[in-house]
Amino acid sequence: MADGIATIISSLGLSNEAFLAIVLLAFVVIGSIVVIVATRPILDIYPYLHPNARVRARKGRLFDEKQISELVEANNIDEISNYLRGFPDYAEYLDNYTLDKALDIQLGETYDLVSRMAPKEVQTSFKVMAKKSDITNIKSLLTAKEAGLGKEATDELLIPTGSLYDDLQHLSDVDTVTDVIAGLDGTEYAPILEEVLPDYEKTGMVLPLESALDKYYLSKLLASSETPSDENKQILYSYVGNQVDVANIKLILRAKVDGLDYEAISPYMIDSGYQLREWKLKDLMEAEDVTGVISSLEGTKYSDVLTDVLPEYNETGSVALFEKALDKFLVDSAKSYSMKKPLGIGSIIGFLSQKEVEVRNLKIIARAKREEDFPISKIREMLV
Amino acid sequence: MVDIALGTALAAIGAGVAIGFAGLGSGLGQGMAAAGSVGAVAEDNDMFARGIIFSALPETQAIYGFLIAILLLVFSGLLGGGSGLSDTAGIVAIGVGASIGFAGLGSGMGQGMAAASSVGAIVEDNDMFARGIIFSALPETQAIYGFLIAILLMVFGGILG
Repeated sequence: MADGIATIISSLGLSNEAFLAIVLLAFVVIGSIVVIVATRPILDIYPYLHPNARVRARKGRLFDEKQISELVEANNIDEISNYLRGFPDYAEYLDNYTLDKALDIQLGETYDLVSRMAPKEVQTSFKVMAKKSDITNIKSLLTAKEAGLGKEATDELLIPTGSLYDDLQHLSDVDTVTDVIAGLDGTEYAPILEEVLPDYEKTGMVLPLESALDKYYLSKLLASSETPSDENKQILYSYVGNQVDVANIKLILRAKVDGLDYEAISPYMIDSGYQLREWKLKDLMEAEDVTGVISSLEGTKYSDVLTDVLPEYNETGSVALFEKALDKFLVDSAKSYSMKKPLGIGSIIGFLSQKEVEVRNLKIIARAKREEDFPISKIREMLV
Repeated sequence: MVDIALGTALAAIGAGVAIGFAGLGSGLGQGMAAAGSVGAVAEDNDMFARGIIFSALPETQAIYGFLIAILLLVFSGLLGGGSGLSDTAGIVAIGVGASIGFAGLGSGMGQGMAAASSVGAIVEDNDMFARGIIFSALPETQAIYGFLIAILLMVFGGILG
């Protein structure tokens, strides 16, 4: 054997050293290929390991069905507050704020935390999501000033979270909606609101201002995830895109119930959604009524969701049925994304979606418990 | 310059491959497990001990590679001044190194991913600890196969004994 190898080496005209160098080189080449191929999937996973462990820890602290059921069966709002005081995530805010405010702060802080620890490649989208608190606070300011509320009452409406909270708090003692917009000068929201200010001045309603903020938020969110270069970003784009499409569909359905036409609806739409592109949205806006909108959606993933509740809508005439079905669709989609990429962005999306659902459900329960003898069965129906 | 026989030099390559690739797999795996564990400990201090256990699991591949590398160095005459290996035994030594090296690379990375995922599952649900250990231990088998074959190659390839 050894002689055979030595013969081969000498027949190739190689010295022992040259043969050794070739073997070494072959190993370097093979090794490099193996390392590159083997480590590629790890490079995808690695940035998500730390944030995923953290969000999964928080996911483990979310209320399960049994706990939500216990809360639904509580006798009054104080019982709900006392129950939540047993959970550190909520307890720290309940000592200083009302229940609803504590829930909003917790959700705002969650967005902020996720935006800070998300991997760089997807961080922009989560940073946009964290702006929700600021947008909610600006809306509260606008509503308060439209209603002529004073500083104290306006402060009550503000959620003490978000990057603009301190600045917004200073605006709580201004007198008018126009003053609020002037006070926002220098922020990214000022030009958005100034653009629709004439609409407010004409109608005296803050709705165009609120819609402009919503439109700005969703457009920015969609733009932040619009270059899906790998699977994680593709999932994020789908998750964000679904939200934009659902917001557009909800708006169109509401508008059709109110009998509004294309010209009235189009200023409030996000021009190009995810699955519903500009031409499709035009079709939907031009539909005669709710049934026409749902027919036009055929072939999209939203069609089945809405068709399933159409008979119930025809009986009750409640557009809230569609909204609930679409909300459930968003939650189910997020759940499927979390299972599709558990070692990537899936865990973060799954957690955020479930946290939103938890806070929304807790608010529903809290609101119901403020009413006298609100039926438990009705609360269960309202839960997401 | 030290005069080293070709067989011995080939065994040195085998030793390098053994610890090099096994160590790479172990390092990547341990890095993944540790990154997940740090995230878990940041949320729950009680996760420290369990995080350490899961982070230590992918260490074994490097140990296997290290053992094989030492054996190759000793029995090839590089350490301890033996008579050196024949050219044929030297080629076998490369196979020995590749066996544990590549098996350890795959095993270490796989174990790291499973361990990181298990840490995430445990911090979400405490009852997942035993099942997490079982799933994380599964990718160990590939390293054991590589280690066994490496030993067999050394025994029957004329390196050991």
